[in-house]
Amino acid sequence: MFRRLLIPALMAFATPAFAQDNIDHSKMDHGSAYKPDHHAGHDHEAETHEETEVINSLTLANQPNLAAAVAAGGEPIVAKVLGAVCDFCVKAMNKTFGKRDDVAAVYVDLDSKTLNLVLKPGATMTDKELIKAVKKSGYKVDSIARGPNLIDG
Amino acid sequence: MLRTGLITAILMAMSTAASARPVSYAGGWTLIEETDRQSTSALVHYSPSAFYSLGLKTEWDRKSDIVFVGPQATWLAKRWFGEDHQANLYFWGAAGLASGIESNAGADQFGAQAGIMADWETRQLFLSYRASARDFGKLDQSAMQVARAGFAPYKGDTGELHTWLMLEVDHRPENDDPIGVTPLLRFFYGTALFEAGWNVTSDAPLLNFQYRF
Repeated sequence: MFRRLLIPALMAFATPAFAQDNIDHSKMDHGSAYKPDHHAGHDHEAETHEETEVINSLTLANQPNLAAAVAAGGEPIVAKVLGAVCDFCVKAMNKTFGKRDDVAAVYVDLDSKTLNLVLKPGATMTDKELIKAVKKSGYKVDSIARGPNLIDG
Repeated sequence: MLRTGLITAILMAMSTAASARPVSYAGGWTLIEETDRQSTSALVHYSPSAFYSLGLKTEWDRKSDIVFVGPQATWLAKRWFGEDHQANLYFWGAAGLASGIESNAGADQFGAQAGIMADWETRQLFLSYRASARDFGKLDQSAMQVARAGFAPYKGDTGELHTWLMLEVDHRPENDDPIGVTPLLRFFYGTALFEAGWNVTSDAPLLNFQYRF
């Protein structure tokens, strides 16, 4: 019986649990300065337009802690997260980001499937850092949006 | 006798443990208690990373009169992500002391357990399967499998009470009633999860609790 279990276990361990290195950067809103190299020489006009619409639909969750941190001058970031289906997922990301020195406020919204962050004034967090921290929580980033246009209204 | 009493006391103190959500975020602690028609168990685990957890497991098999205590390791072998779903495949193993009590009193020996768990869930649908086997030498050598399906009548948002209606079917070939059927309710609030059900084939309660720190 144990031998039967051991074989699939060893096979599974040979597979990385999180195949997260192949993040689709085309879904990330890095502002006008962002030039994804892997799109060079390809015609992604229609696809990019559709993805941009998705990104523009992201708004910072309407939560008092986020609003206060934005009012204090912090940069808002909203990341669409894959696999967040329950409050255990929420707890994982709250804990991971809540203890970072560069984060002023964090809120995970299950309805919009987003991780909402506001950085401390003057602090920065690269996409790579954000993706790594989400992975540490056990989840995966689908897209990232930044900046004042995330504030609804 | 002293050892058995100590083990029983530990079991009681931990209010018992062992399986779903077996790996947390990096640095997270989780307490899991499980009681079904066969046994009552408790698992406290720590996750050094989001890929695996290490913990201490205790299990009181009421039907076989065996108490097991030992460390357990659980690996998240694969997680599938989707916009609206998550699926996981876990493997776990535990080794420790298996002690006979009551009808098996005095029979202590090394024991090992191993299992596989898989689940798929959205915010309103849930499916899971787990199977395990144990080798407690002369005390017991057995295997079991459990499947569960669930439905949430509404989507609870962050911090709200999440309610699930579930049906669990377990198969224990060595039992007088090899197939067990348990309808249950799951309540999930914050990081506390509570399940209550009734096994209709063996007339026994199901009571599970989890808390993530």
